[in-house]
Amino acid sequence: MSGPVYRLEGAGYSYPQAPAQFSLDLETLEIPAGQILALVGPNGAGKTTLLMLLAFLQRPVRGRLEFLGRDPWATDDSAVLARRDAVLLTHHPYLFKGTIAANVAFGLKIRRLPEAGISARVGEALALVELDGWGRRSVAGLSAGQVQRAAIARALALRPRVLLLDEPTANLDAALGLRMEAVLGEAGRAWGTTVVFSTHNFSQASRLADAILYLSDGRRVEFSHENCFSGTAVTDGRTSWIEPRPGVRIVFPGEARGHVTCVIDPAEIRLVAAGGGAPLPSGPNVFRGRVSRMETTDPDTALVRTSGDLVFRATLPVRALEAAGISLSREVLLTFEPGSVRVVGEHPAEARKPA
Amino acid sequence: MIARELAFAVWVSLKTSGLAALIASAAAVPVALFLSGRDFRGKKIVLLVNQTWMAAPTVVIGLLFYSLLSRTGPLGGLGLLYTQTAMTVGQIFLILPLIVGFSYTALRQVDRRARLTALTLGASRRQAGWIVLREARFPLLVAVLAGFARAISEVGVAMMLGGNIRGATRNITTSIALETAKGEFRNGVVLGILLLVVTLGINILVQTGLRGRDGES
Repeated sequence: MSGPVYRLEGAGYSYPQAPAQFSLDLETLEIPAGQILALVGPNGAGKTTLLMLLAFLQRPVRGRLEFLGRDPWATDDSAVLARRDAVLLTHHPYLFKGTIAANVAFGLKIRRLPEAGISARVGEALALVELDGWGRRSVAGLSAGQVQRAAIARALALRPRVLLLDEPTANLDAALGLRMEAVLGEAGRAWGTTVVFSTHNFSQASRLADAILYLSDGRRVEFSHENCFSGTAVTDGRTSWIEPRPGVRIVFPGEARGHVTCVIDPAEIRLVAAGGGAPLPSGPNVFRGRVSRMETTDPDTALVRTSGDLVFRATLPVRALEAAGISLSREVLLTFEPGSVRVVGEHPAEARKPA
Repeated sequence: MIARELAFAVWVSLKTSGLAALIASAAAVPVALFLSGRDFRGKKIVLLVNQTWMAAPTVVIGLLFYSLLSRTGPLGGLGLLYTQTAMTVGQIFLILPLIVGFSYTALRQVDRRARLTALTLGASRRQAGWIVLREARFPLLVAVLAGFARAISEVGVAMMLGGNIRGATRNITTSIALETAKGEFRNGVVLGILLLVVTLGINILVQTGLRGRDGES
């Protein structure tokens, strides 16, 4: 397939009654056919709003959104037809009252597929999400994970041209989440489906996606929200710092004022096991924490999440981790150079006066 | 009271009240769907008027339509006064706000994600509206049955607009009123029990029918 499935130019959306005056604005975005795109960003970044635009459930209030080279909002009918091509699986999906099979069959019936074809597709989709034989069960009493899987089956049964997924593995345990990731990835590739999914999980995005779109405050940003911290900057003229938590300073060079957002590249972070005999780091930007998660993103690299003074994610060579004796639940000291801190947002007008 | 007369009274009650419930529901449920799905200026006033209308005494509705349908009234030319049609029309206006109110409450309780989910799966706005109605089918059924129960048990509208004419507009409730006026209390009580039995039978029939179709217990 050639040409982008979506093309957005200056597209934006504002919630008319949003308390925080949230708006999403994207200068340009093209999503090629067959691509798996991850939307990564913190809560309130605009991931769900963008998915709602891509699912034609909300109409851009500014700019232009093209779907398959056409304006999906040209007529009411064209929006409905576009929605049949781009199916959204919402965060906390809803199952209609009745049986699981009736739910999975819903979209197929809307598309007027023959009855025999519907039951085959329903069976196949339920098997994909490991719910074979569950079709006749009522949706009442299903666990959150089962609801999620049934909803994934309902979306997969349609074999849509575009699959939009809002945190698709949020309600699943880690093992099942990984299996569903595989199902979504394989289904997408097997059917040539363009997949756009949102996630907070950077490693999930790295594993699954061909491309990652980082969002923050409704804007596209060129950095991950991993190790992204905000605060009111204080400066001594030579260096500046923010305190994301009282008494916990992130120091960076230069003079900064006002509300500052900064990020630290996970690859720039060093870890030292506390009490491991290695010399402990000193100086600015040393934090205490405990390893709360470890996973390998490729055979040589591990993503380590630490919780403590602040939550950090660091990517380190697996061999270095082993050599330093760093393992899950191990207490660690974590450090990075002030020069590794990248200031990505500075709003002097929002400066707070020092107390 | 002979059996044939009794059977006719039951038939008049079922026919006028059943028709009133069906017609009122056909108007009330879409109104409730509209009210439940949108916020607009004046919505609270609409709901307040509806709630007030719900409490309107049956004789007031009867009197209103009597003044419209009587020979000197603006609709007197239609010749509807003292007919079953007049009774049905009066009952429609009596139960309309009740069904709107109950349906509105039922539809407000439908998970807001139901409509959105239907749209995400390719439903048109109309199909998504049907889904919302389907999700609320049991409470909506209760709303319709409540309307029917109010219509079949009321006496003011039936008496004022039907006139309690034997073999024409006499129904169960106007028969009870007549028997009581005659001092035939035993007949009145028997008719009252009959009214309850008829209503119970219809409730059971409709609810089991719907549940059976849905395969839910």
